[in-house]
Amino acid sequence: MNKKFFVVFAVLAIASMLLSACGAPATPAAPVAPEVQTQVVVQTQVVEKIVQVTPTADMSKPTDMPAGSVTVNGAGATFPAAVYADWAYAYQYVDPSVVINYQGIGSGGGKKAIVDGTVDFAGSDSLLADADYTNGKDLQMYPTLGGAVVLIYNIKLAKPLPTPAAGATAVTLPALVLDRQTLVDIFNSKITKWNDPAIVKLNSAWADYLPATDIVTVHRSDGSGTTEIFTKALASFSADWKAGGAQSVEWPKGNNVGGKGNAGVAASVINTPGAIGYVELNYALSNSLAYASLINQAGKTIVPNNASVQAAMAGAQFSDKMTATIVDSKDPAAYPIAGFTYLILHTTNMKDCVKAQKILEFWKWAETDPSAQSRVVKLGFSPLPAADSKLMLDGLSKVACNGAPVLK
Amino acid sequence: MIKQPQPLPESHPLSRIRQFFQHGDLLWRAILVLISILVLALMLSIGWMLWQSSSNARTIFGLSFLLPTTDASWDPVNNLFQAWPFIYGTLLTSLVALLLALPVSLGIAIFLAELCPDWLRTPLNWLVELLAAVPSVVYGLWGLFVFLPMVVAPLGTNLAAVFGQIPLFAGPVTSSGASRLGAALVLSVMIIPTIAAISRDVLLAIPNSQREASLALGSTQWETIWQVLIPYGLSGILGAVILGLGRALGETMAVTMVIGNSIETSASLLRPGYTMASIIANEFAEAVTQLHSEALIEVGFVLFVMTLLLNMLARFLVWRVASRTPQEARV
Repeated sequence: MNKKFFVVFAVLAIASMLLSACGAPATPAAPVAPEVQTQVVVQTQVVEKIVQVTPTADMSKPTDMPAGSVTVNGAGATFPAAVYADWAYAYQYVDPSVVINYQGIGSGGGKKAIVDGTVDFAGSDSLLADADYTNGKDLQMYPTLGGAVVLIYNIKLAKPLPTPAAGATAVTLPALVLDRQTLVDIFNSKITKWNDPAIVKLNSAWADYLPATDIVTVHRSDGSGTTEIFTKALASFSADWKAGGAQSVEWPKGNNVGGKGNAGVAASVINTPGAIGYVELNYALSNSLAYASLINQAGKTIVPNNASVQAAMAGAQFSDKMTATIVDSKDPAAYPIAGFTYLILHTTNMKDCVKAQKILEFWKWAETDPSAQSRVVKLGFSPLPAADSKLMLDGLSKVACNGAPVLK
Repeated sequence: MIKQPQPLPESHPLSRIRQFFQHGDLLWRAILVLISILVLALMLSIGWMLWQSSSNARTIFGLSFLLPTTDASWDPVNNLFQAWPFIYGTLLTSLVALLLALPVSLGIAIFLAELCPDWLRTPLNWLVELLAAVPSVVYGLWGLFVFLPMVVAPLGTNLAAVFGQIPLFAGPVTSSGASRLGAALVLSVMIIPTIAAISRDVLLAIPNSQREASLALGSTQWETIWQVLIPYGLSGILGAVILGLGRALGETMAVTMVIGNSIETSASLLRPGYTMASIIANEFAEAVTQLHSEALIEVGFVLFVMTLLLNMLARFLVWRVASRTPQEARV
């Protein structure tokens, strides 16, 4: 018994060692030559990552610094953490001399950290306070990517779906459709039953199956940028939404529960027949959860995906602080619950110019490199449209260290 | 021949110093005093820090922050904060957990110490101690995915159907079972091993002469346990209860996962709720406005003071019990 255990343990240990060995850059000392397409295939069933480095202008001068000699620390929003981590991983092959760390500690934590100067860059879904711009903090927010917040639901059907005749395909229900007012009414506990006429009217295919059970709304119990995007959308959808839009709000009293993180919301929804909750699109995709389509301001039924978030982002009106709200877009193709996530940098008083250059090169690579951009879509987020991307890169080019622009 | 060093004359100043430190008694005492003062200083500095960094919230909300209300608001958007739902949630779940856990753990302790056959004792002891070492997040996961839907939801529905008239058991129960009752039950499972293990040790520490004397006087085994052993070990058992209560009050992760995290108007045990530890864990990282984080720190301060007060109350009880039992009977 013990021996068997030991063998299993040993196999696991060896496997994990192999994994980590493959996961790190194969030869950390030697910089990757720019023309070579580096292909690292981790040989397991679980993880398969192929890094294709496309040569870009920046890389024509391979760095002569030793591998891992610059460590860049970032922290903040959990919303884009999956993408940032993936970018940081891939970037090791572009510029082995820099190690990028990103900790998803939450937008509020990220903003605090960059104001206090404990991190080199921060990620945030929520905006900096005006005071942070004015009191000599030299901070600036840059949009990095966009994402959608989707509604997941768990409806116990009123009666079972009919069994298909031999040879015919099984009957399935389409994704639930909600309009903006109905959604607000649900989260206001004004609509409390799944077979409410307002819901039935929007979902004719569901008519016989919507049960007379209570709706339980599930929200994030922790403060979150996801909540901010969602509640800002609700506030924009209808004047009935009184709780406002913020990272934590006072949820209307009623049949609601809170779950911690995307995972907590998803677990509550899965465990609670009659529940509806909101998570990031990438979370719903990676966990194969069914999510609802929404009818937008123009009256079109929109499935949340890259295209519909792109449409919402295309209409963004950026303020002079380079921030924009894109919930409830007027564009007929736009998904109405979408938002940007931002990078926060010091613009004039970064002390270490080498590090400053590495940080900006990383972000320039992330926004311009086709492989980096395709990773965004794969993870269920949306890269910035060309115009917004240009705005961001223009902003980055203004960042200076010791009075000289960092990016040449 | 090795030359022995001459002892210094008594009058030499160095010899006085050497004498002073010769046996290390003084040094030891100084170190121990320092360490004990460190504990006190730590307590005070924690309290002072919490008090200090919640000053704005305290001046703005005053007593209304703490007072019971049926329409409490916790509104980060409009900066209105009242902590009553969390105070109530913490007190209710901890006390119910303690009520449920006490008889069970006392039973376990008595069985293990007095009645258990030898071959069963070791594995049972081991399991009880193992249960105490399970991380709380594991209890949380188990509670969320197994315990809530399988036990709490049906139990809550039945309780609401039978006792629904009493405000404490008013329904409706959410279909997932997330409720204060769920949190109390998970908490009681978490504190049972703590109370049981310590109470067992207390009972085992009672000298055999007590049992023999009681049996010799003609008591049954049950009378011996109930009228001799339990009173004899009462102060130790109360100590175990304090530790259990402390764990229940401060438990964060498992409770957050099962209580539903909802600010409820009703006082019902069967509705979702919120605790002080949960709200801090949930919102502190993302508390954007100054007042929001100060309000959370004030909640932390209230929790700190409440834990202190409950501990002092329990200490007082132990002292009362101990002063009533004869000197040689103390454990």
